[in-house]
Amino acid sequence: MKRSIAAAVGAATLSALLLTGCGSGDSSGGSDDKTLTLAGWSLATTPEFKVLADGFHATHPDITVELKEYDAKNYDTQMVADLAAGKAPDVYVQKNLKNFYTYQSGKQLLDVSDVAVTGASTDAYKVDGKTWAVPYRQDSWVLFYNKALFDEAKVKYPDGSWTWDDYATAAKQLTTGLKAANSKALGVYEHTWQSTLQGFALAQSPGASLESADYAFLKPYYTHAVDLQNAGAQVKLGDATTNSLTYQAQFGKQQAAMMTMGTWYIATLLSQQTSGDADKFEWGIAPVPQLDESTTGTSATPVTFGDPTGLGINPKISEGKIETAKAFLAYASGADAAKALAGIGITPANTDSATTDAFFSVAGVPGDDVSKFAFAKHDTKPENPVSKYTAPLQNILNDLHTAVLSGTKDIDTAIAEAQERAKNEVLNK
Amino acid sequence: MTTMPTARRGRDTLVGWTFLLPNFIGFAVLTMVPIVLLFYYAFTTWDIFGGAEWTGLANLRQMLHDRSFWTAVWNTLYYTVFHIPLTLAVSLGLALLLNRKLRAVAFFRTVAFFPYITSIVAIAQVWNMLFSPGYGPINAILRAVGVDNPPGWTTSAEWSMPAVIVVGTWREMGYYMLLFLAGLQTVPGELYEAARVDGANAWQRFRSVTLPGLRPITFFVTVLLTIGSFKVFDLILVMTDGGPGQSTLVLSQYIFQKGFEENQFGYASAVSVVLFLLCLLVTVVQFLVNRRRDA
Amino acid sequence: MSTLLNPAPAGTRLDPVTPSRPSRRGHRIGRLLGYLALIVASAAVLLPFYWMVVSSLKTNNEVFTVPVRWLPETAVWHNYAAIWDRTGITTWLGNTVLLSVVVTFLQVLTGSFAAYGFAKMRFPGRDVLFLGYVGTLAVPWQSYMIPQFVLLSKMHLSDTLWSIIAIQAFGALGVFMMKQYYESIPDELLDAARIDGMSEYGIYRRIMLPLSTPALASLALITLVNTWNDYLGPLLYLRSSNLWTIQLGLRSFIDNYNAEYALIMTGSVLSVLPITIVFMLGQRYFVEGIATTGLKG
Repeated sequence: MKRSIAAAVGAATLSALLLTGCGSGDSSGGSDDKTLTLAGWSLATTPEFKVLADGFHATHPDITVELKEYDAKNYDTQMVADLAAGKAPDVYVQKNLKNFYTYQSGKQLLDVSDVAVTGASTDAYKVDGKTWAVPYRQDSWVLFYNKALFDEAKVKYPDGSWTWDDYATAAKQLTTGLKAANSKALGVYEHTWQSTLQGFALAQSPGASLESADYAFLKPYYTHAVDLQNAGAQVKLGDATTNSLTYQAQFGKQQAAMMTMGTWYIATLLSQQTSGDADKFEWGIAPVPQLDESTTGTSATPVTFGDPTGLGINPKISEGKIETAKAFLAYASGADAAKALAGIGITPANTDSATTDAFFSVAGVPGDDVSKFAFAKHDTKPENPVSKYTAPLQNILNDLHTAVLSGTKDIDTAIAEAQERAKNEVLNK
Repeated sequence: MTTMPTARRGRDTLVGWTFLLPNFIGFAVLTMVPIVLLFYYAFTTWDIFGGAEWTGLANLRQMLHDRSFWTAVWNTLYYTVFHIPLTLAVSLGLALLLNRKLRAVAFFRTVAFFPYITSIVAIAQVWNMLFSPGYGPINAILRAVGVDNPPGWTTSAEWSMPAVIVVGTWREMGYYMLLFLAGLQTVPGELYEAARVDGANAWQRFRSVTLPGLRPITFFVTVLLTIGSFKVFDLILVMTDGGPGQSTLVLSQYIFQKGFEENQFGYASAVSVVLFLLCLLVTVVQFLVNRRRDA
Repeated sequence: MSTLLNPAPAGTRLDPVTPSRPSRRGHRIGRLLGYLALIVASAAVLLPFYWMVVSSLKTNNEVFTVPVRWLPETAVWHNYAAIWDRTGITTWLGNTVLLSVVVTFLQVLTGSFAAYGFAKMRFPGRDVLFLGYVGTLAVPWQSYMIPQFVLLSKMHLSDTLWSIIAIQAFGALGVFMMKQYYESIPDELLDAARIDGMSEYGIYRRIMLPLSTPALASLALITLVNTWNDYLGPLLYLRSSNLWTIQLGLRSFIDNYNAEYALIMTGSVLSVLPITIVFMLGQRYFVEGIATTGLKG
């Protein structure tokens, strides 16, 4: 029975191989106390992690910060898996507040209340009176506008005094004006994400909250959006999704005269204008349209939304490295790191005035007063308030978003349905 | 088989197991163990990080009241009921068509298989563009032949599932065609000769020689198609992401949402068990029907 | 083997349909129309691939436009050169080829081995175990991928290529498929061989394997394609960028370069080519066995 012996040996070998396996990177954090591992994504084109790593190394020459690359779109899926298996790096990025809640409630973050943070607000990361992460970056949504197209359509630039009604009027005027000038561009491009409308609705409507299961505050925003679609000033959601339109191309290739988007787009637009992927045209940023006149104008503070990006510490980090990790967090949220980040076009969380100067000294960033105002002064509310209900509620509201903008349901029915689903599927836990 | 002496049967068992072992060890450790764990987690609340907290039938009770769950069940059944016969017919037809010595048959077979090897991202993108209600060629053709209000396809809640079903069949027909092609080879040529000598025409030969000869393969393909349809995930995720609204939300995506986006792994496991039982039920029925035909 | 009937080639094909008294011209027109239909259908089927190729020759912001452009403004052939430098596609291709070959080999070998046990041997518990195998096919991978991930991490296999091999090579699909094909091989053949004194392993090697070449070839191709196109598995298990497979690499490249869609399509076209070549070269094995022994009618 030589064959059966051979088979048995083969099976045993295979099992042995499986159990030992040759690993390339069985790492759970840096192996010595002088190396801190930091999670990041798209390392080749997202220089902020390297800037933080190098900057910290400059102030702490004996510590090396090692970057571990994750997939940008599936960062949280990978991080969750790694944390569950005990293989996550020492310090990892909180990409948005929705997933911050997951990590915090899953006890995957160390208490960092004793980290000294000046010049940046840690409110978003406070749970039960303790701080669990530290922000290094705070994007907010602003209104991008194409000066060349505005000139062609003979419409006045946004000056910080707009409400959503003014915005809609301008969008329609732009569309007609551009058509008359034989341009194929539309007045406005509102990207397909739910946050494009809901982020503003939540931030700007007084008393609005996801957990209240009262979503009437969404109505005016969706009414405007549907109206713009019907007037031909904005691409229909169905066409935008089926043709996979990207906001970079829509604004960058001058397919739309204005667009609300997060400040992270500034760095992208600049680099694309240099590389030729975007047209070269004059553009500016302005505060986003407001719900009513009370927050418009340069003497008031416009309300907008945006989640901070922060850093948290893996609780499985080795004891000897905790102090170093905390020092890294303090550095990342401090004024020096902020200046370095602003120098590469990132909007830091630290609101030191030197930061604004550093940002506007980057080549290509529009230097007019309205742009500076939009960048420096804003009341930014979180896109994803920290709570265990946020993720499922956002899923329900996303269904509302696609249903209303595709014309499947009218806004009132959709709101009623979302409210009922929120009560029955989410809030009764 | 004639009755075997017990010694022989004992040896048979041992030998039988040596055949199974190489595959079985890997399978048992890497697939069966996690699946058994899955059944355990179905009765717990688990946020993946800490321990799982036993909550008995709480997940089941939640499912009964969960409207989204029932929507996902309905959508999955909707997809399955149409996808299976359509794909079966198309792939068998293709296999029959391309089983002969046509000119450039190699080319046509490769073409049929192409959708299966093309990246799902490209497929979803192109089909979305084809289905685009305002600009896509499909609606342009429909308008040209006089249809006033062509469907919204993937942008409309009514037509999104039919659109996905069409793309699903288009994508998988080559795969199942391949299986049928291999199966057609096991039908002995003499049987066709005998049938032709008896005066049977093409359709009769198909019914009395091809179909019975193909039975193990047809069964195999049907089971795979059924399971695949119940589990459909990446096509829908990339094409419509469950939308518009929840019109194309299927169980696999619902499980993924609950597990990875909302961190309710216990509940997601419970829904997975339901999906599994559903699949199993249908598969067992198919097994029984097949066994009865054998007898 | 000495009791076999006259050998007929194992891969007998259907003869083309010959109607009893055709008019030559009607027959030829029928054939012509048939070919035409096939060509039109092929064009429809190849449309996405055509779009991929065209997109790979566009500039980035031209790829997604409304309405879609079916021809590039100017063909950017440079993309096909740039991709080798700007991305790690050589590493990705290498890893993907390695994984695909190893997984396919293991799956075909262990799967057909086990399938013989299930199809042609009798032992207690056989049917129940087989049903268990098939049952696992019914569980969507998203459901048990986390427990599986934790298990493999504890075995120190995650972030290694072994993890992918481990999760792909021992699936139930190969076993199920080969068992079905083996069932169509008549038992009398095997009994005759057993009477002649051949061991089960000999039967497997000398009779089952050669007779099931089309099935083995199909299983090999399907496993190859599945491993080649697998995205979620590598996403979860392969962190180090030197381990990435082509699907993972291409997708991360999209996000990395903030929508360099043209280059993405270039990579996708390149990633489809090897499989296409394998298929075109090997497709006759799916229909023509290389066995020289035949089957009893």
